[in-house]
Amino acid sequence: MVRLDGVRKEYGETAALDGVSLEIYPGEAVAVMGPSGCGKSTLLNMIAGLDRPAAGTVEVHGERLDTMTETGLALFRRHHLGMIFQFFNLLDDLPALDNVALAAQLTGSKAGPARKRALELLGELGIADRRNVYPAALSGGERQRVAVARALMNRPALLLADEPTGALDSKAGEQVMDLLLDLNQIGQTLLIVTHDERLAHRCASRLVELGDGTVVRESALERL
Amino acid sequence: MSAVWRAARAAVHRRKLQTFVIGLVVLLCTATGVVSLALLDAVSAPFDRAFEAQRGAQVVATYDPARVSDDQLIGASTGLTAIAGPFPQVVIEPAGDAGSFLGGRPLTVAGRADPGGAVDQLDLWHGRWPSGPGEIVLAAEPHPDDYDLGPFADTTTVTAGRVTLRVVGWAFSISGSADGWVTPAQAAALHPTATQMLYRFAGDVATRDALKARVAGVATGLPGGALLSAQPYLVLKEKAAAQPGTYLPFLATFGVLGLLVAVIIVGNVVSGAVVSGLRHIGVLKAIGFTPRQVVAVYLTMVGVPAVAGAVLGTLLGANAAQPMLVSTFRGLGFGQEAGTRAWVWAAGLIGVPMIVLLAALLPARRAHRLSAAEVISAGSAPRRGHGLRVQRALSATRLPRSVSLGLGLPFARPGRTALTLATLVLGVTTVTFAVGLSDSVVRITGLGDQAAGQIGVRAYNTDERATTTRTDAQVEELLRGMPGTARIATYLNQSVSVVGSSEPILVNFGRGEVAAMGYEAQLLEGHWIDGPDQVVAPSQLLNRRGLRVGDQLTVVLGGGRRAITVVGETMSGAPGPVGLFADWQLLDQLDPGRKLIPFEYRYQVQVTEGTDLDGYAAAVRAADPGLYSWNDAGDSSFAVVVTSFAGVVSVLLAVVTALGVLNTVALTVHDRRRDLGMLKSIGMTPRQVVAMMVTSVAALGVAGGLAGIPLGMVAHRFIVPLAARAAAIRLPGEVLRVWRPGLLALLVLSGVLIAVLGALLPARAAARVSIAQVLHNE
Repeated sequence: MVRLDGVRKEYGETAALDGVSLEIYPGEAVAVMGPSGCGKSTLLNMIAGLDRPAAGTVEVHGERLDTMTETGLALFRRHHLGMIFQFFNLLDDLPALDNVALAAQLTGSKAGPARKRALELLGELGIADRRNVYPAALSGGERQRVAVARALMNRPALLLADEPTGALDSKAGEQVMDLLLDLNQIGQTLLIVTHDERLAHRCASRLVELGDGTVVRESALERL
Repeated sequence: MSAVWRAARAAVHRRKLQTFVIGLVVLLCTATGVVSLALLDAVSAPFDRAFEAQRGAQVVATYDPARVSDDQLIGASTGLTAIAGPFPQVVIEPAGDAGSFLGGRPLTVAGRADPGGAVDQLDLWHGRWPSGPGEIVLAAEPHPDDYDLGPFADTTTVTAGRVTLRVVGWAFSISGSADGWVTPAQAAALHPTATQMLYRFAGDVATRDALKARVAGVATGLPGGALLSAQPYLVLKEKAAAQPGTYLPFLATFGVLGLLVAVIIVGNVVSGAVVSGLRHIGVLKAIGFTPRQVVAVYLTMVGVPAVAGAVLGTLLGANAAQPMLVSTFRGLGFGQEAGTRAWVWAAGLIGVPMIVLLAALLPARRAHRLSAAEVISAGSAPRRGHGLRVQRALSATRLPRSVSLGLGLPFARPGRTALTLATLVLGVTTVTFAVGLSDSVVRITGLGDQAAGQIGVRAYNTDERATTTRTDAQVEELLRGMPGTARIATYLNQSVSVVGSSEPILVNFGRGEVAAMGYEAQLLEGHWIDGPDQVVAPSQLLNRRGLRVGDQLTVVLGGGRRAITVVGETMSGAPGPVGLFADWQLLDQLDPGRKLIPFEYRYQVQVTEGTDLDGYAAAVRAADPGLYSWNDAGDSSFAVVVTSFAGVVSVLLAVVTALGVLNTVALTVHDRRRDLGMLKSIGMTPRQVVAMMVTSVAALGVAGGLAGIPLGMVAHRFIVPLAARAAAIRLPGEVLRVWRPGLLALLVLSGVLIAVLGALLPARAAARVSIAQVLHNE
């Protein structure tokens, strides 16, 4: 699903990633951990096509992201990637349902079918009754569920999660962990960047530890 | 203070684009405002300025020397602040071959020892003052640059009776005190018939009645019947105001639009900068800045580019206004006085920064009141209201999602949207008005050009100082035989006395194809001449003389006397001074056997399409060196001034409006960086981002167009006739019927174009927003 080969990225004179090679297979759930500044977010950016490597190759779902145009990357993300962020990043102007439907509407889907699918997803995530509520009135956990629904809207091959429980209380965090675990168990490939060991051990089957821009250790995880 | 300065400097450094936009907007708005104010000021003031500079005479009085002595006149000074005279005055009648400048008219000549004095300081713009007998200085409006090209150089002597006076100089009197000046001794030798006194009074001199009362005060104690005439300066002032009066409605409209746009955009840009910095204000408070210091930081941050923009804008505006002022008022005799006055500079240098600071102060005061926590959260507070409902409704439409999202953006910040819409409305109003005005002026000029013919011919060659040996009929025959000739008319321009009126009236006695020259086509009322005792009058003359179509006049010339009827009204007159159109037969009936003097008459030739006008004129001169011919087309300085001014101001305002839009979109991009990052992360392409941002203002452009066009049309409908009334002319209806569906559609697009051009740059910046930065670094 994901193949990074000798990926290097520098910011000024500092190497954020220094020759990272990594493979993620379909259906896997991989957690990336490491101290602040070790290159976790940079690695996620490379895989999401949000940033380009100075050297090396990035291949996701059979496509070379490091050689794509901006438009090509946008279309790739639209169809093959779902992203979840620490701070949810929902549009304040739209209610939950329209936030979720947005991802499909950008691909050209009509409002009706897009809203229908969005409602199904919100139902599966247990917040269908909150579909007409604006983000400002949702709890943190609810907002993250809406974000997950939006990420799943276009049936992505790979779901990327950047500190998905970082802004949640423990109860809401637990709910999101369960959600990610459920998704992986039905075949969704997952890449989770986190500081939270509980999240990694709960949801991931493999742990990649980064330090100073390199992979310092890879290990299989026993799910809790 | 250093902490404030340091924080402000850091804020300027961090917000380079916004600082640049503030500086540029203030610069262009100031330039527009200064141009507008300078023109408005100049329109109302040039005569007064020149009058004060020359210490103009508020009254030029003439006395009968047989009834009052010079000593008595000097002693009569009741209510005066300044006096000049007594100057001996005589009217001379130059011989007929004195040249085209004098044209056989009588000259009022005053005897003065020098051009200076306490009143009526003459502008001796060429040559020198007479130093002895046999010398004269003639009066003319200053044309120092064109001296060698004009008729001045040809007029070297003035012969009246047995006296020949050599022209040694040219001078201009704003008081119009005389047509020529000689030494007092020379004046005495000419047997003066009057004594001239020039007066400036204390107190009210604003009305003719007030001036009449003051002259009566001066004349108290003088022998009865001594005062022959008293010419108030108001006559000249009104005459001088006639031409700028035509421009005034245009200039005032553009001036007001320019100032409104400038103020609104500056307010929008500056308040937007402060609002978008609320979070930063909160941070400053949190680290210990006092509320006053925070306000000072923001005022400094906005003030630095604003002051720089105001200074540069004032310089730019003053420089841009100068050529317009000179070209507008050239020919009035005080073009050299045209300049941007101190108060206009002050308005640019002080007024604009004050507006900027006021615009910044209002939102900054809010930041001053709020606590640090409230200010920090101000930008992220949940939004409520119509914006949400509109976005929701739009999301259900069939529009592409990037377009529907863009259409909803203006509703998120109604205040900012209202100001942006207001500038777009004013921008489109300006463009609409300018387009309509230019079209009307071109139509007026078109009518005038057709009527004026394309070639003028005189039987006297000023360049060669030669007169043709051909008779007027032979000249006409020669011209008719020239390749390219389409129509010919011959005019004799002659003043005739009117029974019951002290003022003679000018008549253009015409023969040939006068009606076909276009005058008949521009009849506003009545019909063209079809008998010898009929005349047609241009509106300007009718208005000035209080005449109407159908009125009868009895005119007298060379002993002949005829009753004539005004049968029609035209928009403009024949080339030259405004006069009645009459058939040549009337001249023959009034003054049979009149001998024509070459420079009295002229030929008007219209050529066939495609004829080289300069080539035709040269061919006429080559065919007979005694003929003087010139290209008479395109003599439409009014049209050039109005259309170029309208063009410059509307482009300037369109650019300023586009900058206002740029600022609005830049602020929206700044406010919505996180949303943009999210949209890109879920697959919005750069093209979709640009489409969304451009759509957000294109819709405003359409709304601005739909609202601005009617306003521009109303302004056009109201202002153009107003200007025509100021010029004392009537306009044919077709001059105002300039609006065609295609043009209106283009004008709606102008609003969209301004909005899109303004939005493109920040929209492209939005497309380049780094998702990684805005989404990960919260």
